[in-house]
Amino acid sequence: MKKDIKILVVDDFSTMRRIIKNLLRDLGFNNVIEADDGKTALPILQQGGVQFLVTDWNMPGMTGIDLVRFVRADPKLASIPILMVTAEAKREQIIAAAQAGVNGYVIKPFTAAVLKEKIDKIFERIGS
Amino acid sequence: MPETDLPQGLDGFEALLHAKANELVSVLAVGDVNSALDIVNDLQNVKHLAFYNEVGYLTRGLHEAIKSFSGDVPSDAREDSIQGMTDASDRLAYVMELTEKTSHETMDRVDKSLALVDKMDVQSGRFADLLSLVGQLESEFEGLRGVYDRTCQLKQESESTVAKLREELTGILVAQSYQDITGQLIRRVITLVTQVEGSLVQLMNMAAKVESISGLHVEGPTENKKQNAKKDPIEAEGPQLAGENNPEVVGNQDDVDDLLSSLGF
Repeated sequence: MKKDIKILVVDDFSTMRRIIKNLLRDLGFNNVIEADDGKTALPILQQGGVQFLVTDWNMPGMTGIDLVRFVRADPKLASIPILMVTAEAKREQIIAAAQAGVNGYVIKPFTAAVLKEKIDKIFERIGS
Repeated sequence: MPETDLPQGLDGFEALLHAKANELVSVLAVGDVNSALDIVNDLQNVKHLAFYNEVGYLTRGLHEAIKSFSGDVPSDAREDSIQGMTDASDRLAYVMELTEKTSHETMDRVDKSLALVDKMDVQSGRFADLLSLVGQLESEFEGLRGVYDRTCQLKQESESTVAKLREELTGILVAQSYQDITGQLIRRVITLVTQVEGSLVQLMNMAAKVESISGLHVEGPTENKKQNAKKDPIEAEGPQLAGENNPEVVGNQDDVDDLLSSLGF
């Protein structure tokens, strides 16, 4: 797994963005950029170069699930792996996220080990 | 029926009902049907008025309670930054702001501590170089016998302590996610408070109108009904409480993993 890939973390809470960014840094990923909702994430994604997307669901402006649908519908972005990190915990929501095309789903609050495990798993699958 | 006849509260309504019922029986006993119908009409009116009066009374009570909640912090006890925060939404927004600021301060310190831990790792490397020198000298000086092994063991213990410290610091960092979770819950309460406030104003306006009008049909809050009907089952709701009363909500990450693997993930 290349450690210099560009990762976009989307969450409306600056604390959560910082936590995820620090955990990614622990895993060796230092090229991490941030956005505070789907709307601000879109132009960043469209500029190109983002190779992994970590997004929350419940955000003002544009929600994470809409962002996932948008990314999957855009041929230029569709192949970006997406990890959803959210407090939304209803079965129906998890199924909807899976159907929308997320590659992993982590519910908040999470542990460092769980986040690391899910990220590793996503990259393992992409590699295989 | 003039408004001055209206009894205050439901007790007064009951007393009036008794009086009118007796009156009704007595006029019917003498065959005065016209008067009896008048009394039935009066009762009908008084029922509406009592109801509207009660609604008005409750509305004013609720409004007073909310006003007193806003003003229950004595002004001399307030910090500068709290002054002017006269309503619940502002206070809750302030809680979010404060927890965000404090979480970042905690994480600043965690970052600084992690940098110190990195420094300890570098120092441990330099220590290893010195140790190898001791190892070389050990054979030449009888007094140094065993010092190399004992120091190596201590170095290993120290490195394992540093690794544990790093783990604990990461734990503190991740624990700051409480700010996101509580923030989302507070944001929902702020939305609710704002909606209740808006509805209360409407209710007060309505109560003011109905106090002087009887027989008015009051429509329910149609806007809310529409909202409920249109509710999206997967709409983002923020943190949810799992449990027996909420079987749709998964309890932990293992449940999420089970559900996703059942979907072929």
